[in-house]
Amino acid sequence: MRALGVLLRKELHATFTSPIAYAVAAVFLLVTGYTFSLTLFFTKVANLTYIFHQMYVLLILLVPVLTMRAFAEERKADTLELLLTAPVHEVWIVLAKFLAALVLVACLLIASGAYAVVLGLYGEPDWAPIYGGYLALFLLACLLVSVGTLASSLTENQVVAATCSLGACLMLWFADSAAYMVPAPLDSVVINLSLIGHFTPFVSGSLFLSDAGYYLTLSLLALFLATRVVTDR
Amino acid sequence: MSHPTEPARIDNPIVAIEGVSKLYGGVAAVSDVTLHVRRGEVLGLLGPNGSGKTTLLRMLTGYLSPTSGRLSVDGYDTESQRMEARRRIGYVPESLPLYSHMRVREFLTFMARLRGLDASAAAAAIVEVAEQVGLTDRLAAPIRTLSRGYRQRVAIAQALVHRPDLLILDEPTNGLDPRQIIETRNFIRELAGRRTVIMSSHILGEVEKVADRVAILLQGRLLSVEVVADTPDLEALFLSLT
Repeated sequence: MRALGVLLRKELHATFTSPIAYAVAAVFLLVTGYTFSLTLFFTKVANLTYIFHQMYVLLILLVPVLTMRAFAEERKADTLELLLTAPVHEVWIVLAKFLAALVLVACLLIASGAYAVVLGLYGEPDWAPIYGGYLALFLLACLLVSVGTLASSLTENQVVAATCSLGACLMLWFADSAAYMVPAPLDSVVINLSLIGHFTPFVSGSLFLSDAGYYLTLSLLALFLATRVVTDR
Repeated sequence: MSHPTEPARIDNPIVAIEGVSKLYGGVAAVSDVTLHVRRGEVLGLLGPNGSGKTTLLRMLTGYLSPTSGRLSVDGYDTESQRMEARRRIGYVPESLPLYSHMRVREFLTFMARLRGLDASAAAAAIVEVAEQVGLTDRLAAPIRTLSRGYRQRVAIAQALVHRPDLLILDEPTNGLDPRQIIETRNFIRELAGRRTVIMSSHILGEVEKVADRVAILLQGRLLSVEVVADTPDLEALFLSLT
């Protein structure tokens, strides 16, 4: 566990000193802030449903940019050889990279909590969908970061890693569309692979363990595969 | 001359390589190598580019898994007991991989902590190793600003910071100027006796000047293991073998 702490500190330092992190944070907060202001101005309704769906899209687009360097940069610079010849289990290396990126996304979500605070100060919002929405966004971030970490473990090219990660997440988003072409009972499996299908209930304030389980299961699967990729040499 | 398939018996070797092969898509990068390394000796791996030196060293560090055979460091199998084996190794890859965004002290602290030293032990070890390799006045410098020579010192320092029994250097004099080559050579000789050193090189003169024994590799096969002091004309032997 001490090795995880040492690795996590190094990854956090690399993440928070990278200009990529600040570019992503600026875009995320600028776009969501702009939309929040406009929506509130025009509708004068104290809810964040629209913002949560926009954050969902933004995270799918931006998280691959945050995770692309995780392993690809280490491979390119040969520094992965240093890590993988140190007396450290590969799973800690993968977890440290995953957690560092997740901390950054969590910071963005916390910063966006200002919108909920504004609603609370000047209106009477229904808090259940807001709590649910933030939980959904965090679970979505876990999945996106783990898929991005997996993609980055497969290549030394950061652009290839980001593109593969984006492609995989978009396919998960639109997975339910393919259900029409798949015979029963496989169609229900395909529908249940859909990212958005497990996101929407949270935002409406309905919490189902199956939805949380979907994000956690796929996240663990991606992290397991990333560990396998890093271990198999 | 000791035949590679019948290695001279070495009691309690620090490194034991037994019938090791590494295949890439059916092509052998290393083929059935058996080699034992004595404690405290400097062993040179000599061979042309592509002869399997780096692959063999990478298997020893645990970075690559052998397709067949077994490697151990201080009795610990590099696959089934890889953490114990890795704790005993300091490794300097040929490309001198370093985190350029870090400062020298920060990088050495990271590597020391990663290898299990606590904060105070790491700080003390860094002072000691920096003095040993001539880095004391560069500890606060960003790594990206260092010359090739100083980058190599940082790479050696990170390999020594946890006081390993075995130091593995892959082509340690590559890209260095003549003065730096001599300094590196002297440094390796100073370590002899206190630590076991395995260094690879494709330059015969380098190995001849530094190593106690030399293992000659060609196309992944170990051709011969020689005691340098007992081999007056290593060049002629190398030419006859290759």
